[in-house]
Amino acid sequence: MALTLEAVAALAPDDASAKAAKGLTSAAKWPTLGANDQAVWGECQGSGSKPYQTQVDLSGPAFKCSCPSRKFPCKHGLALLMLQAQSPTLFTATEAPAWVAEWVASRSEKAQKKEERQAEKAAAPVDEQAQARREAQRWQRIENAAEELQRWLGDQMRQGLGALTNEVLQTWHTMAARMVDAQAPGLAQRVRAATQGVRQGEDWPERTLHRLGLLQLACEALQRRSSLSPELQAELRAVAGWPLDKAEVLASGEQVEDAWTVLGCAQEERDDKLIERRVWLHGHRTGRRAWLWDHAFGGKGFEQAWIPGTCVNATLAYFPGTTGLRAQPVNVHGAPTEPQWPQRTAADEWGAMARRAAASPWVGWHPLVLPDAVLQPLGAQPGLRCADRWLPLQMPGDDLWVLNAVSGGNPITVAGEWDGQTFAPLTAWHPHPPQPSAAPAWQRSQA
Amino acid sequence: MSNAAHWAALLPAAMVGTDRQPLAATSPLPGPVGALLNDTLAQTPDSATALLRAAGIVATCSLAGGHGLHTGDAPPAAAAPDQRPPLHAGPLMALLPWVVAEGPPRLHQAVFQGLDHAGLQLPPRFLPAALELGRRSVALRPWLAPVLGERGRWLAAQRDEWRYATGASDTAPPETLWSEGNLEQRKAFLHAERTHSPDAARQRLSDTLAELPARERAELTAVLAQGLGPADEPLLDRLRQDRSREVRSAALAMLLRLPDAAFTQRACARMAALLKHERVLLRKRWTIDAPTALPADAKADQLDTPRPQHDALGERAWWLYQCVGQVPLAWWEQHMDVSPADLLAWAQSTEWARALLRGWRDVLLSTANPAWCHAFLQAPAAARQLNDTDTLVALLPRADREAWWQQQLQHGAATHLGHFASQMLTGCPAGETLSQPLSLALARLLRERAQHNTLADDYGLRNLLSELLCILHPDALHLLDPWPRHADETPSFATIAHGLTQVIATQRALVHLSIHSSSTATP
Repeated sequence: MALTLEAVAALAPDDASAKAAKGLTSAAKWPTLGANDQAVWGECQGSGSKPYQTQVDLSGPAFKCSCPSRKFPCKHGLALLMLQAQSPTLFTATEAPAWVAEWVASRSEKAQKKEERQAEKAAAPVDEQAQARREAQRWQRIENAAEELQRWLGDQMRQGLGALTNEVLQTWHTMAARMVDAQAPGLAQRVRAATQGVRQGEDWPERTLHRLGLLQLACEALQRRSSLSPELQAELRAVAGWPLDKAEVLASGEQVEDAWTVLGCAQEERDDKLIERRVWLHGHRTGRRAWLWDHAFGGKGFEQAWIPGTCVNATLAYFPGTTGLRAQPVNVHGAPTEPQWPQRTAADEWGAMARRAAASPWVGWHPLVLPDAVLQPLGAQPGLRCADRWLPLQMPGDDLWVLNAVSGGNPITVAGEWDGQTFAPLTAWHPHPPQPSAAPAWQRSQA
Repeated sequence: MSNAAHWAALLPAAMVGTDRQPLAATSPLPGPVGALLNDTLAQTPDSATALLRAAGIVATCSLAGGHGLHTGDAPPAAAAPDQRPPLHAGPLMALLPWVVAEGPPRLHQAVFQGLDHAGLQLPPRFLPAALELGRRSVALRPWLAPVLGERGRWLAAQRDEWRYATGASDTAPPETLWSEGNLEQRKAFLHAERTHSPDAARQRLSDTLAELPARERAELTAVLAQGLGPADEPLLDRLRQDRSREVRSAALAMLLRLPDAAFTQRACARMAALLKHERVLLRKRWTIDAPTALPADAKADQLDTPRPQHDALGERAWWLYQCVGQVPLAWWEQHMDVSPADLLAWAQSTEWARALLRGWRDVLLSTANPAWCHAFLQAPAAARQLNDTDTLVALLPRADREAWWQQQLQHGAATHLGHFASQMLTGCPAGETLSQPLSLALARLLRERAQHNTLADDYGLRNLLSELLCILHPDALHLLDPWPRHADETPSFATIAHGLTQVIATQRALVHLSIHSSSTATP
């Protein structure tokens, strides 16, 4: 499945890279160009005497380039894919040169080794006692923090939200800092979010009480942790912000192999040039949903691209927990193919969401695929109408109008994120396309 | 937020504080969630903890049970189905994102025109960007209107900024297009009517004028220029007194093309009185004197435009300039029996040269008399004073214009291609391309310059290149495909060169589209 220029541009870590890449899409800059089923490669004449060797493994797409740029993917890798989208006939060579073949081979080798290492690690004798002691220590700290937090929550309720002055709010920040000290950054983040929500919007008292209520629930659960199921304990560990080692997930998490259709991808810039990416997948054979969550720093892009509206054959390892949503890729097999859109009713979707929310009310986003939804872009709050319900939308104006144009006021299937209050559409497709695996009619533009 | 009743029960205590207002389960809360809350409150002695637990319950239940808000409103009307199919997947479709986001204005117009000729519509996802382009460029709107389709007009009606593009359905009966259509549709309707029944069209325009805003009056009045005849005189006479300056000048420009109109006759008579054929020594020669006062009928005949304070013309010269501006150019040739070229030379010899040349130039711009255009172009001194060769070339008929450019190319225009390019861009009307021979010559020249990498430093030219490629005849495109590139291009020129590659690719895709659509249209 060939990528379009737009899809390539969406892989760029920033606008400047995409722009610079466009400037390199001339055959004159590329003395050699080649492609086969696995990879695309080329040599690009840069400012130095020796051309840069640029290559893209199509199973990712994953990029590699000999240029010194710290951007990832660099402009050369992007330009290579753009050039292929623009004029595929230029890629005459099909026999991969040594530097390409080696890298492609090393990548699959690396993946294999990674697996082996994990197997070894799992098999390796670890000082289980010491590890258990360390874990018990951290749990103890977190439980103590939860107890302190609960006392503090009670104090806030006794004084009342109406009495919140800026001085009092300062103590909320202090509380968040104490949670970080107690190795519970997840709780700290929730306290900070509650602090930021105070006096924001008309319904802030409800929202604040909502946040504090969920914190109370987490604190009480943490204190009686040992009596809870292992899944719920894992969920609480995530709530406290104590991440599982990725290797541990790979080693112990449930592994599911399937043809995963990328329902959508939300990329947002957090503070300090930190890019957060949420990818939502739907497994064609198992019907499971998966949530991939990763981050990239300062212009360094993501190694694995997940292009909305494509289908990727992959094995995922699910994180332990009650929601069975978060996962991480173990292996990706081959290049992306046409999507296999899920076919479910709105009631099924809401039902699945309700079960997940009931299993863990601390989940921030739920994937929803709403069939036969009608966009209502006008008025103070744009919304989406689906089976006599109305969902307030959260999306940039430009995207809203393109989605409106594409749907024309007719029912359309929309996939997106539901945070309990608002819905953020990520992808949309026509309900009765001529082929069941049509490309998405619309997708959110990347910020 | 759903569960409003439950939140309402918790909020008073939460706001004031449980110290002052303990949470009391006075009245049992409704529903299963309410029952759970009642139980929890009863079992938790500490009021603050009870409140927090209750909030946790309501939060969890509203998350799990929430699925949007109830809606009783009827959904808004969907767009009517389109008569024309949208552009299908293919080379042009792949280029469209670039075209609407970064393409030059002429390419927008060429693409819309190409879609229209192929009987296609813009694919819906490009409509918002295209409507934005039309919002910023009034000149683009006539090209955009036919490819918007029902979907585009439906979309345009939802935003004030896009209202210009709303209108009647393309399939509506003609009368509806006139009564409910947008300005472009009404203009097209009036044009059509003017072609087959000019009198009816004039009557229709005359009946409508009073209710139109100035801009629409001016645009619709311009339709009269087509098939202009003596019967239009009364309406034009009325329009030259219109409130809007644009309408007045449009009417005056059309009256210049009616030599027998009473207004034009008066203007000629006024001018005849200022000209004298005198005998100087053995030869007779023409002299002209500017009016010493404004004519008595100045106000009635629109001669009273006040002189701008710092105008180069003096007061009398200004009056003369006003009078010259109402006299058809042909009258001078007949009355004085002199060719345009000689008239220009004669004007230079009088003391009122500036007023005469300015007046003639104005008349020329309204009436596009080819003989006078040539005379102006070949009279260097006069042309220099007017300083707008580009505009004059643009007034020439197409064949003359092409011949002029061919001649320029042979006489070294290649060395200052930047200026020449801007002249061609001014002269080539929207929706047209240069002729095939001229395009081939220009394309060869551009290819040579591009191969020798001498375009990058020509700052006047390099920014015009993408527009220039848009007016090339399709037969010349292969000469520039691929656009010659160099490994040592500067980043800024590389961006331009990428744009040029895209322009050529788009144009070739348009050619492909027109061949494809004409072959399917005629089985």
